[in-house]
Amino acid sequence: MKSKINIFLMEYAINSLLRRGGKNIFILLIFTLLVFLLSSALFISESIKLELNSVVKQLPQITLQRFQAGRQVDVPTSRVDKLILIEGIQSVVPRVWGYYYFKVAGVNFSVVGVDAFEEQYTKQLQDIIDKTDISVFKQDNSMLVGSGVRRVLDENYYKDFFNFVTHDGKWKRLNIAGVFNSDVSLEANDMILISKKSAYEIFGMDKTMATDIVVKVSNPTEIPMIVSKINELYPDMRTITQDDIRVSYQNIFDYKSGFFLALFVVCAFTFFIIIYDKASGLSSEEKKEIGILKAVGWRMDDIIKEKFYESFILSFCAFLLGLVLALFFVYGLQAPLLRDVFIGYSQLKPPFNLPFNVDFAHMILLFLLSVPVYIASTIIPSWKASTLDADEVMR
Amino acid sequence: MTLTPEIIALLMLDALFLFFSFIAFVISVRIYLKWDSSSFSPLQYGLEKQSYLVGVVIKYIFFLKLPLFLFYVYTCDKLSNIITGAMCASGVVNSVDFGLYLMVFKILNLYLFGFWLLLHQVDLKDEKQSFTKLKFLLFAIFFIFLLSEIILEVSFFASLNISKIVSCCGTLFSATSSSYISLLFKIDSAVLVGLFYGCFVLMVVAYFLKNSPIFIVSNGLFLFFSIASLIIFFSTYVYELPTHNCPFCLLQKEYYGVGYVMYISLFMGTFYGFCGGVLQRVSQIVMPHYALISIVSNTFYVAIVSLYPIVYRLHNGVWL
Repeated sequence: MKSKINIFLMEYAINSLLRRGGKNIFILLIFTLLVFLLSSALFISESIKLELNSVVKQLPQITLQRFQAGRQVDVPTSRVDKLILIEGIQSVVPRVWGYYYFKVAGVNFSVVGVDAFEEQYTKQLQDIIDKTDISVFKQDNSMLVGSGVRRVLDENYYKDFFNFVTHDGKWKRLNIAGVFNSDVSLEANDMILISKKSAYEIFGMDKTMATDIVVKVSNPTEIPMIVSKINELYPDMRTITQDDIRVSYQNIFDYKSGFFLALFVVCAFTFFIIIYDKASGLSSEEKKEIGILKAVGWRMDDIIKEKFYESFILSFCAFLLGLVLALFFVYGLQAPLLRDVFIGYSQLKPPFNLPFNVDFAHMILLFLLSVPVYIASTIIPSWKASTLDADEVMR
Repeated sequence: MTLTPEIIALLMLDALFLFFSFIAFVISVRIYLKWDSSSFSPLQYGLEKQSYLVGVVIKYIFFLKLPLFLFYVYTCDKLSNIITGAMCASGVVNSVDFGLYLMVFKILNLYLFGFWLLLHQVDLKDEKQSFTKLKFLLFAIFFIFLLSEIILEVSFFASLNISKIVSCCGTLFSATSSSYISLLFKIDSAVLVGLFYGCFVLMVVAYFLKNSPIFIVSNGLFLFFSIASLIIFFSTYVYELPTHNCPFCLLQKEYYGVGYVMYISLFMGTFYGFCGGVLQRVSQIVMPHYALISIVSNTFYVAIVSLYPIVYRLHNGVWL
């Protein structure tokens, strides 16, 4: 159990690795590539998770959607008055919002109808409204756009206005009154803020309806109780709490990186077999070397230990190299190509930065996934090598 | 079933362990049945070579299992984020009926494999290799434990259900719960703490008297009473909350992960005390350094654990 590190043996192992440079560099490269791919995937999914979690914190505490025959339909605004009577609810805001498909660029804008005199349901939205002139929404012919929307409109020569096509085929012209940048760019990038009246017009919605209702609760620990009360009052409404969204985000990204990992496991086992094969086929020179070592008095234990050092040094170097490359690739270069796998379907790709989110536990996870597999694949070959008899191989 | 990256890592390493330990198991059985150190047959010669492989494989498994145990606890802790109702690892562990057994098996296997490696080392130093048969018989038995651990672990992760609501540690570790943990709460905490310190004193006395049977027994009792008193008494001072008796929340970063230090020192101390002591009885060789490591680690554990109530008392002037 006492296993002291033998410096001389270590030195011997390094020299032995260098002596067979060609073969080992090949293994090092492949293994580095594997670790690199794996850690990039993990880093990307972790940092997107962080970004989304910070979004979740700003989301409404409870969102109510109405379902009819399993599909989401608009909610009558008259329900707001009944909901506000439930004890513990601080405010109830009906929302009017939806997606507007801009055919020319092939993107979806999130169009949100706001009433400047209402309290906004997220802090972020409130900040945007507070910063701008309220008259924008009073005039009913102007809008605020996110920076991503601005860019798309610019590319299509809508410099200062945009023509929405309403549900009945008419044009609704709105002037761009301002552009907002948000610290969390993931959701605000494709957002357009317009007055509620314009929103009703564009979507062709009944004015007594709302898309959904958001509820603010003064004491967060009361949320489950309030949810059960709402369910009793309106059985056709689905309640989505902040916690539900957080859990589903974590599940989605655990699933995505898990999927990636499942592929990796296949790669790792293929690699395992390649290494096993490579390490088992000893050249006559290597056999002679082991024979000489045994003849000068090395025990089986020493040879196994030396082989262990070799494989550990090789795999650990590859691990570190792969890790550094992945860190550079993900946070330095912002993971070109690979991030698209994780971000998914959004047509209006928001140019957000992947925030740095790596902790010690991730390193350990990556280490456990890579280095032990390599070492395991060399156990039996190095034991086989150590059992060679000195007189037999030198003869 | 959820496949988070951590779970995949654990399952993948389990598969490796299973593969290698099975090879080692087959070799062990053969060696146990056919070992004859006085023989010069090619069979005996082959077996001697193979015995090295078993040693290497077990070393590999053990040295990975050590960090992997901590990693497992960390994974459970992380899973508590997605499982409704769980606030720390205990909720996750208890979300499946046999979660606690898995935990016990994991700890037990660390002790068993560690003991095996100690024995292995003594055997290699012995010219007659007189413990070889015993050693391989033991491994063949330990393999069953390892196998049950792996089976439990796979079925544990397979039956984890995210949408099922589980209990948090506040209800699991309380007098109102119906499990056998609640039996502990029937005992007066002063008695438990007394027994805990009593065992420690007994251990120190046995160490100075060099009485190994008492040392072994006191170490075993010490392990039990440490965990019991940690749940009942000491944990409340770490959390500074009289109703919070959880042995898992200690591992969270809100308490600076102090649990990792506590458990490592406790397990190391009792491992060297218990297994080192047993080894001494078996091999009849005196190994004073094991007892020394044991007594130092255990003292360290007692010091950390005792510091919390004392500091609390000095700060607030009252006991919890």
